[in-house]
Amino acid sequence: MRKYLVLASIVLGVSALAYATTYLGALGPIGSDTRQLAKLFLMHTYNPEFPELTAMSPEAVTSIVWDFRGVDTLYETVVFYMAIVAALAIYRGVGYSAIRGAGLSVIVRVVTRILIPMNIAIAVSIAAHGYLAPGGGFQAGAALAVISVLLAVVFSASSFGKLGISLARAVILWTAGLLAIAAVVFAPVAFSAVTGVRAFLMQNYVKLDSPFAFAIHIYGQQVSGTPTWFNLAEFLAVSFGFFVIFMLLSLREDVVREQLGESRGH
Amino acid sequence: MIEEVLRYAGLVVLVAGSFVNLIGAIGLNRFKNFYLRLHAATVSTIGGTFYPLLGLALISFSTPGLGEWRFFMGGTLLTAAFLLLMLAPAGSHALARAAHRALIAKPEPAIADHLKEDRGG
Repeated sequence: MRKYLVLASIVLGVSALAYATTYLGALGPIGSDTRQLAKLFLMHTYNPEFPELTAMSPEAVTSIVWDFRGVDTLYETVVFYMAIVAALAIYRGVGYSAIRGAGLSVIVRVVTRILIPMNIAIAVSIAAHGYLAPGGGFQAGAALAVISVLLAVVFSASSFGKLGISLARAVILWTAGLLAIAAVVFAPVAFSAVTGVRAFLMQNYVKLDSPFAFAIHIYGQQVSGTPTWFNLAEFLAVSFGFFVIFMLLSLREDVVREQLGESRGH
Repeated sequence: MIEEVLRYAGLVVLVAGSFVNLIGAIGLNRFKNFYLRLHAATVSTIGGTFYPLLGLALISFSTPGLGEWRFFMGGTLLTAAFLLLMLAPAGSHALARAAHRALIAKPEPAIADHLKEDRGG
């Protein structure tokens, strides 16, 4: 009985949604014209004719994320930073001593060995093409961080040590990414202080009252302004931020408790 | 001529892939234990996705209307097919092995259990 009720509710729900979207026009006018909001974004995403209004990045989402609402993304990065700082604070005093483990079978190991270089290449390309194609720093960082999970699960957490990946090094690279983000944020102001030209924090391209702009062409290659550099810096910060988290999570609970001086009774 | 051959070969592989998908779906519903159902799931992920991707690659190679982009499209499809062919069996192997080792899923009914024998059980 229950089975048929579930089936009937699914059929009814899908038909109702289909009816609403097709006959009742729940999605608004479709296909008649480009919507005003889309026109606004297309107008300002990459438009050399109005240099003081454009983000000069061909990818609309990247323009929105790192230019139109760039400060918002910056604070999201700060939230992520604070979360990792909190994790490191909880684990303070715990020496990273990887457990010895056998890992998974030869079949999985061989496939993972083939996969990891591809994974690195794809992550770097997602970060580097972030201003041209869907992707960007955070997605690329998540793609690279998958490697830490693969290493811990497939080769056991002791493989971090064998590959020269220590917690301290991961923290250094993660901090370097964050410092690079800060450098891009403060670069216009530093330029302004040196040259006397008016420029703002996080400024990407020329504004009505400021001629400062990041280079749009580098040796003939089209790049966008801040979004390109933010994507690369965020890639470093996010990937090694996740590396830190996953390395801490790969520690065995009883080892951590022992090192933190907790008795088992708690 | 060669384009026609490629196109029809692609269509045949595509249809074969959807047939394999159907078989996999039936198996997933009908089989009795975890390992058999995992086998059925692998049939549809490998047979039912690798073949259609291969077919689509052949079809895109044989579509001159796509211009130079057809090599780009076909190459991407072939890469995806290759990755799938490599990853899906490794993943299902890891699942089956882990389930067997952790004694989560009992291989019943079983005629022979060589993994158990290897471990001296």
